[in-house]
Amino acid sequence: MDILQALLNGFGVALQPLNLLLVFLGCLVGTLIGVLPGIGPISGVALLVPLTFALKLPPESALILLAGIYYGAMYGGSTTSILLNIPGETSSVVTAIDGNKLAKQGRPGPALAMAAWASFIAGTLSVLGLMTLGPLLAQWAIRFGPAEYFALMVFGFSTLSALAGKNLFKALTATALGLMLATVGQDPQSGIARYTFGVMQLEDGLDFLVVAIGLFAVSEVLMLLEEKTPGVIKAQVGRIYLSLRDFMGSLLTILRSSVLGFLIGILPGAGASIASFVAYTSEKRWLGPRGRLGEGDLRGVAAPEAANNAAAGGAMIPLLTLGLPGSGTTAIMLGALMSLGVTPGPQMFQQHPQVVWGLIASMYVGNAVLLLLNLPLVGLFVRLLAVPAWFLIPAVLAISFIGVYAVNNNPFDLLLMAFFGFLGYLMRKLEFPLAPVLLGLVLGYLMEINLRRAMTLSGGDVGYLFSSPIAIALWGLALLSLLAPWLLSRFHRRGLGGEEL
Amino acid sequence: MTDRIVGSLLLLLALGYGLEASRMQVSFFTDPLGPRPFPYIIALLLGLSALGLLLRPDPEPTWPPKRFWAVLGLVLLSLGAYAYSVVPLGFVVATTLEMTLLAWLFGASVPRGFLAALVFSLVLYLLFTEGLGVGLPSGFFFP
Repeated sequence: MDILQALLNGFGVALQPLNLLLVFLGCLVGTLIGVLPGIGPISGVALLVPLTFALKLPPESALILLAGIYYGAMYGGSTTSILLNIPGETSSVVTAIDGNKLAKQGRPGPALAMAAWASFIAGTLSVLGLMTLGPLLAQWAIRFGPAEYFALMVFGFSTLSALAGKNLFKALTATALGLMLATVGQDPQSGIARYTFGVMQLEDGLDFLVVAIGLFAVSEVLMLLEEKTPGVIKAQVGRIYLSLRDFMGSLLTILRSSVLGFLIGILPGAGASIASFVAYTSEKRWLGPRGRLGEGDLRGVAAPEAANNAAAGGAMIPLLTLGLPGSGTTAIMLGALMSLGVTPGPQMFQQHPQVVWGLIASMYVGNAVLLLLNLPLVGLFVRLLAVPAWFLIPAVLAISFIGVYAVNNNPFDLLLMAFFGFLGYLMRKLEFPLAPVLLGLVLGYLMEINLRRAMTLSGGDVGYLFSSPIAIALWGLALLSLLAPWLLSRFHRRGLGGEEL
Repeated sequence: MTDRIVGSLLLLLALGYGLEASRMQVSFFTDPLGPRPFPYIIALLLGLSALGLLLRPDPEPTWPPKRFWAVLGLVLLSLGAYAYSVVPLGFVVATTLEMTLLAWLFGASVPRGFLAALVFSLVLYLLFTEGLGVGLPSGFFFP
């Protein structure tokens, strides 16, 4: 009953006029961001964080806006995947397989409607999961001390590194680079300046937003400049409808993929893109010859769309209960919350219930908003693609200038942004994953402070880090996840892991 | 080959980063761990990953044509110039110039790009300063 009461209070927060407006705005802007090629959820959220600061929003409203943009963008990405075979971000790559085939077969309407319904159902289910699992996990995690926290972050980094890219060494390098960036500035305990090279502007450390916008948004612009995307794209949308028969035929797929996506979303590091891949392949195996996945089956749209939306909900669990972001986007949300004076973690359910429950309730509202917004308006969104690239891309960059400048009112940050843009471009070219850099930067401070607290508590005994069952379990899981890619590849070679996608 | 070069550079970076940590002046009043070990752990992690990269490099990445490096250099230089000029010139002027350059690189004619950039920068400036109360440098054109 406690949970119901808390959820009711959450709805009280979410249904306030300001927050209702923000959910709507977040979903709308998020969808636009998702539809536009070149800016994915990460850049979208990063670009809009400064706006939440500028508007002086309370933390719960800021988070509601950012979350709306997050799942709005996840949703919008599917639209371009289906209509144009241009996946806006990695999680809609799979949707493009069947979705675009359907569009080419003259059925873009059902495919788009299926994406909307699958996202809605999965989103709703994942909110239910978040509601029941979140408080449980928070109650359990409240006993975490510095040793457990340190182990938890090691676990987070190892799963992220194992899953983030094809090459484990590159992912680990990216993690190390992020942690290095986190040590720039004043040492948290003694206050001495580290790695500032006498540059005064670096004394306060690197701002996560400057790094995020540089790494993701600016580098994306550089990539687009290299590819020279086509100027004007035309797409036929037609009527958005879904027959009851089609809907019922895909319902089980949606339910299965939602559960799978949600569970994958909870794992740190395994984000929406992995969820959609796994859901699609397992659905393909599950249906066998009954399905025509890959040739334009509606279930091929339903599975990845349900999974990636459910994963977004699942990713909120480690973020809210442990303060551990599982992806680049949630890392930005964590950074934003910390800047607003709220440190996510197990205590948050007690200390800031209006933030947690307001967010959960708003996600519920947001799912409905997305459905209402998208079924009739997809055609309108797609028209945005007719805006020529020569205007759109520089315009996005100009907005990011404001975001970067507004953080500290310091033009030096613009220089840093350009540097990280170039670094991001090189890393993309060399196939280094970018998300671990951001996670390292956001978590590095917490990781070091917990390590040093643990050492203070134990008087410098390293064994303290491995002294509790929870800590040992987390260290074990960390080790296991680093071995996972190697173990999986062995299974694949023996043919036990099923076919590769 | 590229990964081997990158790996070597990263190894140097790990060494330099670790060395810099060892030279940190520690005040007498601090926790048992002090500010050094955490950077050491990172240096070790980076060093090991760099070694891994050296020993098991990926196949060659596809680099853009030589001409693109000039374009990239131009864009990065202009971004640097933007950082230095945005305060003296003001947001609208600096952003218009930067957007015009980018629009031209993305294939627009200079007059079209300039006009679109000017209008968009003005709209952004008014929206953020007047509408949202974000301080942006006004420069000498907008007192």
